[in-house]
Amino acid sequence: MTTFRTDGRVLGVERLTVTFRTGRREVTALQDVDLTLAAGEFLAVVGPSGCGKSTLLRALAGLLLASAVVDRSSTITVPRDASGRPDVVWMPQQNCLLPWRRAMANAALGARVAGVPRAEAVHRASEMFERFGLAGFERSWPHELSGGMRQRLALLRTTLTGRSVLLLDEPFGALDAITRRSMNQWLADLRRSHDGALPSTVVLVTHDVDEAVTLADRVIVMSSRPGRIVDEIVVATEQSPRERVLAALSVE
Amino acid sequence: MSSPNGAVTVRRVVSPLALCAALIVAWQVTVRVSHVPIFIVPAPSDVWHAAVRTAPLLGEHIATTLTEAGLGLALGVTVGALLAVVIAAIPAVGDAIYPLVTFSQTIPIIVLAPLLILWAGFGLTPKVILVALTVFFPVLVSAVSAMRSVEADLTDMVAGLGGGRRHQLWFVRLPAALPGALSGLRLAATYTIGAAVVSEYLAGQSGLGVFIQRSRKAYAVDQIFVAILVIAVLTAVLFVIVDTLCRLATPWQRDQR
Repeated sequence: MTTFRTDGRVLGVERLTVTFRTGRREVTALQDVDLTLAAGEFLAVVGPSGCGKSTLLRALAGLLLASAVVDRSSTITVPRDASGRPDVVWMPQQNCLLPWRRAMANAALGARVAGVPRAEAVHRASEMFERFGLAGFERSWPHELSGGMRQRLALLRTTLTGRSVLLLDEPFGALDAITRRSMNQWLADLRRSHDGALPSTVVLVTHDVDEAVTLADRVIVMSSRPGRIVDEIVVATEQSPRERVLAALSVE
Repeated sequence: MSSPNGAVTVRRVVSPLALCAALIVAWQVTVRVSHVPIFIVPAPSDVWHAAVRTAPLLGEHIATTLTEAGLGLALGVTVGALLAVVIAAIPAVGDAIYPLVTFSQTIPIIVLAPLLILWAGFGLTPKVILVALTVFFPVLVSAVSAMRSVEADLTDMVAGLGGGRRHQLWFVRLPAALPGALSGLRLAATYTIGAAVVSEYLAGQSGLGVFIQRSRKAYAVDQIFVAILVIAVLTAVLFVIVDTLCRLATPWQRDQR
């Protein structure tokens, strides 16, 4: 059985095996995956297409597709908030901005879903527009924004839910290589600022090795189907002394 | 203007107008040359004279028909939209109701008119109901199919933010249904005047349908042509109004077209 524990702010899976049933065919997407995440850690999961990394992320988000069967011996651990809801937020690969909402209202959606009243949600969103490189585009429709801006807007919407763990499924996968590189740099800076603009704990699924090592503290490599963890690499922190001091100060 | 744009304007606007004028002239000449009696086919000039003659009478008939069409449109849109929301919000209810509603559309609405008159009398009510029934279905169908065809990606996104079915309905399904419901409304608007007129054929003291029936009994075919023209113009005006409202209600689609 899948059990949900609430022991602190740790995220992980134990012996996670997920099978997809489509008609008579059965495909094992994930096989005995073990994974633990400490609070404040940025983990990247890399692997070839179809290795089950998106399935792993959906399992953590509690959003497995109806055709997915989780093995009885698997355990999925997610942090819970005070009201018992999973304290995680998931962002899909497509930006999924709502075409009938202007940029501001799209950003506020995350807070609205989390139960924040409209005025307060818009206030919180507007405070972050500058940080997310969207200042001046508050009243634009999504189709008027560039690809990179749409993705930043989707990320802003996601972070405004106020959840403590961020699950990113190839957030920049649909962007061209140049835009993706600048997005990675921007996201790394945002994370390094430690000012709460980004949840401190992040799981990033990607097939871009550069993206993984630019952003993550630790990289997990998965094999092709059925997905297993084949390697784990700790990325040397390239923080400058100044950044380290700043980070230590803001952690307290 | 000698620019390419000017040439396109000439082709798009001037040529249909010229064709229209040519057809009217041909009609006039044919009727006059062949001496067709005016109570079979009147010439355009006869229709014009009839229009001038009956203009003082027409106002009241137009008012009646427009009232029926307007009230029926409002009622049909309201009921259709509300039912679409119920069908989307409660799938079990939707699964039960929707096939029935679809099947009921095998009954041409107009054949219900005698029943409506029997039940609701000769006044405004049966005609409003008839128009509403005509409008209701296209609005319902386009709203429901728009809500059903919402990309699973969008509802997934809301679930990923921690939202439940209620959030998916409120933030995604209902707003996504709006353009669909509006295109149904645009379609429905073209039916309304015609539906009101046909319902007046069966019973009533006033309205363009009544005017047409009286003209028929008096062999005043020229007056029937006048009524047909008025119905066409009213339908066009109603369509333009509804279309404008639709555009105002979906501003994000304005410069995407």
